[in-house]
Amino acid sequence: MKEYLCLRVPLRREMMTTVRLATGGVCSAAAMSYDGGEDCKVCVTESLLLLMRRGYSAASVCFSAPEEGGGVRVCVTGSEGSCGQAASDEDEIALALLNALAEDVTMDRDGGALKAIAFAFGQQA
Amino acid sequence: MSAELRNQQADEGAEEREEELFRRYRETHDVALRNEIVEKYLYIAAVLAKKFVGRGVDYDDLYQVASLALIKGVDRFDERKGLRFSTFITPTITGEIKNYFRDRSRLVHLPRKVSELRVGIKRASEEFFAKNGRKPTAKELAQALGVSEEEILRCSDAGGVVSLDTPVEHEGEEGMSLHEVLPAENDIFEKVEDRDALESALRTLTPQERDLIRYRFVRELSQMETAKRMGVSQMNVSRMERRVLQKLRETMKRSMVEG
Repeated sequence: MKEYLCLRVPLRREMMTTVRLATGGVCSAAAMSYDGGEDCKVCVTESLLLLMRRGYSAASVCFSAPEEGGGVRVCVTGSEGSCGQAASDEDEIALALLNALAEDVTMDRDGGALKAIAFAFGQQA
Repeated sequence: MSAELRNQQADEGAEEREEELFRRYRETHDVALRNEIVEKYLYIAAVLAKKFVGRGVDYDDLYQVASLALIKGVDRFDERKGLRFSTFITPTITGEIKNYFRDRSRLVHLPRKVSELRVGIKRASEEFFAKNGRKPTAKELAQALGVSEEEILRCSDAGGVVSLDTPVEHEGEEGMSLHEVLPAENDIFEKVEDRDALESALRTLTPQERDLIRYRFVRELSQMETAKRMGVSQMNVSRMERRVLQKLRETMKRSMVEG
């Protein structure tokens, strides 16, 4: 991994704009296309909302630029608060959307409870 | 019975009802049944369309694209494959929306939108200050202009003052200044956009009005010669020309504002 940028955010809807703007900046710095950047913003927002709906009250969003292949890898991890909420229909759509837009989507679960979501954009094999 | 178990049972019940609905539709191809399914899942089209707002295409257009994709998806879905319909339809709708963006990319005028928004921000700020005696926040501006807070912040970022001597890299060549790489006043993209807008505006004219445009501005005939060819008086041509030009100006202005 070449470079990192990490944000730690309280999981409140009014923080989403800040995270989206930061995501746009990171994608632009990684020379991603405008559409790629917008898709990445959607995925970061969806990941945060997923964690929020599961009961987390804060999350960290870490962007990294892989040494090879270019693009951006993002890891959104829930912290603080419980993770007791069951998955809803909205979550199902969010997960399908993540899989449709991002590459290499992985879910980190701790005893069945969702803990982190990671995905990549613009990576070349 | 625990809440988790109750939720699980409810989920299983919903899945069974969904399967049953699609099985009946697959067997009967009953249009009423298809409509029932589409109505039931139309919220997915609405949810997904909202995720793509702010990229230069109106929500209503995105919702329409998403709804059409949903209708097509209902026909293609096979419940026997064991997938939930929402899991199947989300990538289908997303794909259609992205195709729409790709097809429309030539017509989505982002730079122009930003410049229009900047004018709006300036006006709304002044109005807000006059009314409240203080400057507005980004959120207040967003509410006043009916756009997202993000668009306001992104727009103010895009409007930063930059020196024309700022060194930039252009087409792989370093050490050039910004004023050397800035497009000329009549940039080729602007020309393409203007031609598109004009073509759309011309389509709103009647055949007689289009004839007038052809004689006067393509063949460059005089009003008198045009009148002869169209079998009307020169006065009529003069009046019609004024009216047509006004109509074209208004249509073009509207299409540029709406992007």
